[in-house]
Amino acid sequence: MKMKRQLASSLAVVFSTLAVWSCNQSDPAPKGDYVSGVFVSNLGNFLQNNGGISYFARENNNATADVFAAANGTALKGGVQDYTASEQQGIILVDNSVAGQDKVQFVERYTFKDEGTIGAPDIENPREVVIVGRKAYVSCWGTNPDYKYSTGYIAVIDLTTKKVTKKIDIAKGPENLVYNAGKLFVGTTTYTDGNMLTVINTNTDAVTQSIPMEGVVTPIGVDANGKVWVNAGIKALRVNPESLVTEATLAIGTDATKVPESFTMSNDMKTIYFVLTAYDANFNPFGKTYKFNITDSQIDLSKPFISRYFTGLTIDPTQGLLYAAVTPSSTQSGYAVRYRGDGNVVDSIKVGISPNGFFFQ
Amino acid sequence: MLWAGFALALPVYAQKDSIALDPVIVKGFVPQKFMSGLKIQRIDSASIAQLRYQNIGDILSAYTPIAFKNYGPGQLSTASFRGTSANHTAVLWNGLNINAPTLGQTDFSTIPVAGFDQLSVQYGSSASIVGSDAVGGSILLDSRASVTPFHVSGGRQQESFHNNQSRTDIRYAFPLNNAWAFSGKTALYYGRMNNDYPNPTRNTYALLPTETFQKGIVQDLFLRSQNDQEISAHVWLTDNKLTLTPDDMQGREMTRTTAYRTMVRYQVRTFTIRTAWVRDIIDYAKGDLSHPDHSVTDKFASRIEKDFTLSMGSDVNPVSVKTGGEWTHYRSRVPGYALSPVGENRTDFFLLTRWQPTTRVTTSVNLRQGLVTGFNPPFTPSIGLEYGLIQKTLYNLTLKGSYGRSYRVPTLNERYWKDLGNPDIRPETGWNKEIGLEQTFKAAFGGTLRTSATFYHNRVKDWTYWNPSRNYRVENLQQVLARGIELQLSYQRQTGPWRTGLDAGYALNKSSQEKAYDNYSQDIVGKQLVFVPEHTANANAFVQFKYTKLTGQLQAVSKRYTTFDNSQFLDGYGLVNLLTETTFAFYKFKLVLQGQVRNVTDTFYLNVRNNAMPGRSFAVSLTFSYDSQ
Repeated sequence: MKMKRQLASSLAVVFSTLAVWSCNQSDPAPKGDYVSGVFVSNLGNFLQNNGGISYFARENNNATADVFAAANGTALKGGVQDYTASEQQGIILVDNSVAGQDKVQFVERYTFKDEGTIGAPDIENPREVVIVGRKAYVSCWGTNPDYKYSTGYIAVIDLTTKKVTKKIDIAKGPENLVYNAGKLFVGTTTYTDGNMLTVINTNTDAVTQSIPMEGVVTPIGVDANGKVWVNAGIKALRVNPESLVTEATLAIGTDATKVPESFTMSNDMKTIYFVLTAYDANFNPFGKTYKFNITDSQIDLSKPFISRYFTGLTIDPTQGLLYAAVTPSSTQSGYAVRYRGDGNVVDSIKVGISPNGFFFQ
Repeated sequence: MLWAGFALALPVYAQKDSIALDPVIVKGFVPQKFMSGLKIQRIDSASIAQLRYQNIGDILSAYTPIAFKNYGPGQLSTASFRGTSANHTAVLWNGLNINAPTLGQTDFSTIPVAGFDQLSVQYGSSASIVGSDAVGGSILLDSRASVTPFHVSGGRQQESFHNNQSRTDIRYAFPLNNAWAFSGKTALYYGRMNNDYPNPTRNTYALLPTETFQKGIVQDLFLRSQNDQEISAHVWLTDNKLTLTPDDMQGREMTRTTAYRTMVRYQVRTFTIRTAWVRDIIDYAKGDLSHPDHSVTDKFASRIEKDFTLSMGSDVNPVSVKTGGEWTHYRSRVPGYALSPVGENRTDFFLLTRWQPTTRVTTSVNLRQGLVTGFNPPFTPSIGLEYGLIQKTLYNLTLKGSYGRSYRVPTLNERYWKDLGNPDIRPETGWNKEIGLEQTFKAAFGGTLRTSATFYHNRVKDWTYWNPSRNYRVENLQQVLARGIELQLSYQRQTGPWRTGLDAGYALNKSSQEKAYDNYSQDIVGKQLVFVPEHTANANAFVQFKYTKLTGQLQAVSKRYTTFDNSQFLDGYGLVNLLTETTFAFYKFKLVLQGQVRNVTDTFYLNVRNNAMPGRSFAVSLTFSYDSQ
């Protein structure tokens, strides 16, 4: 509900896309106006409930600002916190400024036609979504009336019936989700002092472990060696997915007032990109974009990959370009800026208000 | 600048001995007679009475081109007057600016028609007369002394969605002795908007569940003497409680706006002194409503003014002069402020003149200097001119023009809000130019026809802005140019038992940001400001036969951009309302039965929250009154 600065995750999205991609190879060609291209999640502006999903084909440099409105003649009526898709179905997390108006919006994946919603009280303040088989896991803050983040949960959605089958309570504002081999790794929002990495068994949909860490936890993804990377405070940790033991710890500088965010992994799963955000005296976010290799012994902050601050970061699994979201303000259109692997800019595309994440198909 | 103010004021005092005192008492709380060259629209009492159970926004939408930024029925509604923002309309109650000092604006959903007797709308900047906030225009709400010995009225309006409004007014007047007469008014109002919409959505857009309760009391007392003395006391207590999603115990949000407005005024011939205390309280809570955030702001305001006439020679009309000062102290306790309480003093000196050198020419030169703790607003002069191009018995054509400076003192929130406020924020300053023609046909189509056309150009510098690209820190970042044209027409005719009338208006408002402030501002410069429709139109037509009146109202606005780069907008719309009322009179009693159909065409439109506004709805009211005369 309360619109917040984004932790752009989309890693989960990338993985689910890859899975879907391989599944799709043998299927007949999908039909629709939005078959192959880039989807951008836009938060919109607080109280105006004017977020949406922008779309453009990779060869184009102009976008349809709001594909849901274009396909259905009506807006989503909220900010978009996250978007992902199963084989045929797109799942949009819609966050409205007023309690009880949040929802999970289902759409046909290639036409973006409305296929129903799940609203309150099942879904309140949705944050991130990841698909595992025929289930979707949605992290939610719950009603959170006092902003103490004590009402959070993971909603488990049966994608066949489009119903929430279970709510798994998670304290301190559940946020980023990463799935790997029967385990869902859950982090929390940076607005709390939460420091738990929660692990959910996706066969039983129960919490199996809660591992305390040094700082707020954001799961990043799974690398080429099958290791799970996790951000905790100003550290990046390599975690063994079986034993859950931390095998390596890399410091992201020494300034604890800075917040590393928008983690994304390269297509070979050997390089991790992130934005290190700081706030000036006017609470204006600024920062630069960095990268490190999974075999590095330390993270070098002396050489930024791109000397710019972004509100979202994802690598296109098809072309390998880095897509970075630029939000000039929450009252004007944002941009998707594309970069090559060497950090040189390709172009920029005007999208919706407050872009914060990308989905590729 | 301080000394300039004194220097200009002093010679007038110095010349006191040489001028003749004007024996005529200047009526009214706001010195409108010094507003020559400016456009003033008086809303007639019949129009006010017709919407007696509604909010002021309903009247202003029906009769003026002011556009409202509305969050939904019974929710926050702020004005955009002549292409300006919510902070640029001064709302004056008996001459006192009642914009909330914290927010610097008025929520028009909290001002019921029951709260005032007279309503005038003054277009354009009148800062030299009104002071801060009068950049786009001013709304003047006045109390009026009762003229009848005893009058009581009461009634109730029942509306769709289980909404209802009630009010009771008692007016009284009697002589106390040979020298003094007493009159007064006591009014009570109560409204309850349950907004029980039968269908929770329209065209898939939610009709947000909300409740609004409104209640208040108005007390006016006037003591008038034979020898041009008047003492008056005015009290207006009002309470407005809005709850969003009231049935959602955890997510509901309550905003309660309470104001205590009190004023005492004493006038002896040409000298007037006024003192006022206003307390604005805002309570906000979410989920658990028992411990709201509680903000209290007190405003103590005193004003002294003196009228003179300045002789210009034996064969020329004298110059009318009004000079005086205002002293205001603010004290505010707001949970979000870096300091609590905060205090601030403001002082204003003004010198107003009006001169009619010939029957064709009226001119005003007005000067004001404000002084504020921490900084001084600009020296604010203005000049206005009215010239009678054609002055015939049945036809009048007048050219009007005005050129003046405006300013807006930063609000307390802008200065003191923790982290996001800016104690060093500069006052906004602007120059407003306007020129217009007014014509009156006294025998057109058997009635009186008035038309006016006005062009205005208002450039505001240091426009303050809660900058969304700086996490909403307040900054003096914009320069805005608002310009436009207003066309208005009013026609009234009476033939035997029949009366007909039409009020219609159209306005073009182009309001855009002129200056750049960051890398992405090329997407914004030159674009229409958000929530300012380029075109607005309003019409109000009635036919009356004896005691029965049928009225049609039209309000139309063009699309309103919702983002600064104009990439998103809310569609334009037109609303039609129908009102019919009939009066049954017997002896000294009257019964007024009124029916309304609102949004007759069931037009779909959206509010600022991207929620649907209600479709067709109905209201019926019954008002009983007794008048001793």
